[in-house]
Amino acid sequence: MSDTPAVSIKRLSKSFGDIEVLRDIDLSVNKGEVVSVLGSSGSGKSTMLRCINWLEVPDRGTIHIAGKRIGVNEGAGRPMNNKELAGMRARTGMVFQGFNLWPHLTVLQNVMEAPVYVKGMHKEEARAIAEALLEKVGMSDKQGAYPFTLSGGQKQRVSIARALAMSPEVILFDEPTSALDPERVGEVLTVMKNLSSEGYTMIVVTHEMEFARAVSDQVVFLEKGIIIEKSAPATFFNNPQTERVRKFLEISA
Amino acid sequence: MTEWSILWEARETFISGLGNTLLLFVCSIVIAFVLGCVVVYLLEAGSALSTTLRILINLMRTLPFLILAYLLYYGLPQLGLKMSAWSAGLLALIIYHAAYFAEILRGSRLVLAEGYVEAAKAHGFTPLRMFIRIVLPQLMIKTRPLLGNQLIIALKDTAFLTIITVQELTAAANSAQATYFIPTQAFVVVIALYWLISICLELALKWAGRFGAKRGFDYV
Amino acid sequence: MNGQAWLLLLEGAWTTLWISGIAIAIGVVLGLGIALVRMARVPFVDQLLVLYISLARATPLVTLVLFLFLSAPTFGIGMNRNTAAIVALTLNTAAFNAEIWRAAFLSFSREQKEAALACGMTGGVFFRRIMLSQMITSSLPGLVNEMSFLIKGSPAIAIIGIVDLTRVTNRISAVTYDPLPPILAAALLYMLIISVLLKLQAIAEKKANRLAM
Repeated sequence: MSDTPAVSIKRLSKSFGDIEVLRDIDLSVNKGEVVSVLGSSGSGKSTMLRCINWLEVPDRGTIHIAGKRIGVNEGAGRPMNNKELAGMRARTGMVFQGFNLWPHLTVLQNVMEAPVYVKGMHKEEARAIAEALLEKVGMSDKQGAYPFTLSGGQKQRVSIARALAMSPEVILFDEPTSALDPERVGEVLTVMKNLSSEGYTMIVVTHEMEFARAVSDQVVFLEKGIIIEKSAPATFFNNPQTERVRKFLEISA
Repeated sequence: MTEWSILWEARETFISGLGNTLLLFVCSIVIAFVLGCVVVYLLEAGSALSTTLRILINLMRTLPFLILAYLLYYGLPQLGLKMSAWSAGLLALIIYHAAYFAEILRGSRLVLAEGYVEAAKAHGFTPLRMFIRIVLPQLMIKTRPLLGNQLIIALKDTAFLTIITVQELTAAANSAQATYFIPTQAFVVVIALYWLISICLELALKWAGRFGAKRGFDYV
Repeated sequence: MNGQAWLLLLEGAWTTLWISGIAIAIGVVLGLGIALVRMARVPFVDQLLVLYISLARATPLVTLVLFLFLSAPTFGIGMNRNTAAIVALTLNTAAFNAEIWRAAFLSFSREQKEAALACGMTGGVFFRRIMLSQMITSSLPGLVNEMSFLIKGSPAIAIIGIVDLTRVTNRISAVTYDPLPPILAAALLYMLIISVLLKLQAIAEKKANRLAM
């Protein structure tokens, strides 16, 4: 059972109109692994991430989350309906570049919302979990605040707590720090580093090289829709196998 | 007897008329609003009814309210569906204003940032739960002034029902002045009552505005 | 529905159109006048106008029409049906128009006025030559919207016995015992009239957006 990868992507392909954004992507992420996804803009990194929870619908390929296929109901031989998709997505968490905290709810309510209204958890139980998670990300003192009063870094930390509240099999991070002021980036990366050491499975699309080097178990490099290098951080950063990655690291240094 | 004391003598008629106006108003807008929300959800979910609903909404925007009331009260009996003036009036109010509520909410839905919806999807919300918990509250907060405006229009539309013999407030004034020959006084009182109710509505609207302001929603 | 019924219907439509038309024409100009007086902020008059606008916007048309028609005689003012209808519709629409014009005034950029004054224009010249036409363009969508509301509210005049496009259906069905067809036909005519207005409103909105004030 511990052999089942948390996420298993096979031959994932997607086009937007004439443009092929993803070509035959293969990726396997084990439980507890942290995978960083790097690449220049337009390389397809975000699209790949968003295919995992079916926010984008692939053209070809299969994606399994903890052994179960998402997007297609194999038993019935048809695409998943909204209810089935929702069920699958409840087992993943996502942290967005734009935070996307729900503005009409307080910080605490944001974190409690999915457990109560998706999982049907009792409010008291959800509250306890939410409070603990907000403690973990360092936002306990802002429980009753509304999102519009928070800074970007604060919003993103709440957003991480919100994703954790559903006890997901994998947390998907879509450029979590790209929209933050430089001073705020650190507080979010710290939280993410702590999560990785606690054993959460994380797939992180990012530009933060230091983070990728320090925390990842795998680094994946996408270029024009293809994975051109996939290796451990030590190899990737110190001894890259491809010319393209070498250039990328030079520019990013 | 002064004219004003005659008015006081006739107060039963006015109270009954006021009661009917308020009853029609409150019942119709509550049901109309719920119906409007359902319509918006169906449009969003892309149901088979979408085209029909869109046509119906646009129809209501080009028809006078009274014609709808006429249709239900005078026209339906010909098809075998008889209803009282009250029922026809109530139904007309509900259908007409549901269409306007739906249009107001739909306009706001079109400009709602997709990020909130994506975050809800990513956390496992089904379309219905997402609509009720995440989308609708934001739409209501954002369209508060337009919704409030529509409430006042609905209140005034109840007066049209005098014409199809519903005994609401304007009918009360009409009947009082016909009986007691006090047209000015009767209508002054009734106009003052309509004015009072709409001032109460506007105050309630302002108070509801704090709900949105507290959450940082920009509104005019 | 035979030819005679259609004739009656068209007569009803004409009644609706000419009474509404006069009310619209006077109401737009009256609304502008009220807005201008309000901008001048004359002490006592301003409060009076605010009261009038508040009352007029809260009073149902049916009630207002009935009130004017029935009360005028007691004040010695002789009012026939059509006059009462026109006055009521005008008083109502002018109040809404006053707010529309006022909103356009308030959102007018101050920079334009400052630039005009800096060139040596007087306030009056500036208003006539520069402000007014832009005001008209930016108010037009709201004004046309109010026109369609007026047409939608015009059936109120039926309460005092005017045979408008709605009331005429009662007339027709009293003879034919067939209420549904005339009502549907009247609905069609209203839809036509109001659709034209809504089209005009869309055009006006496009022109107003190009102003980008």
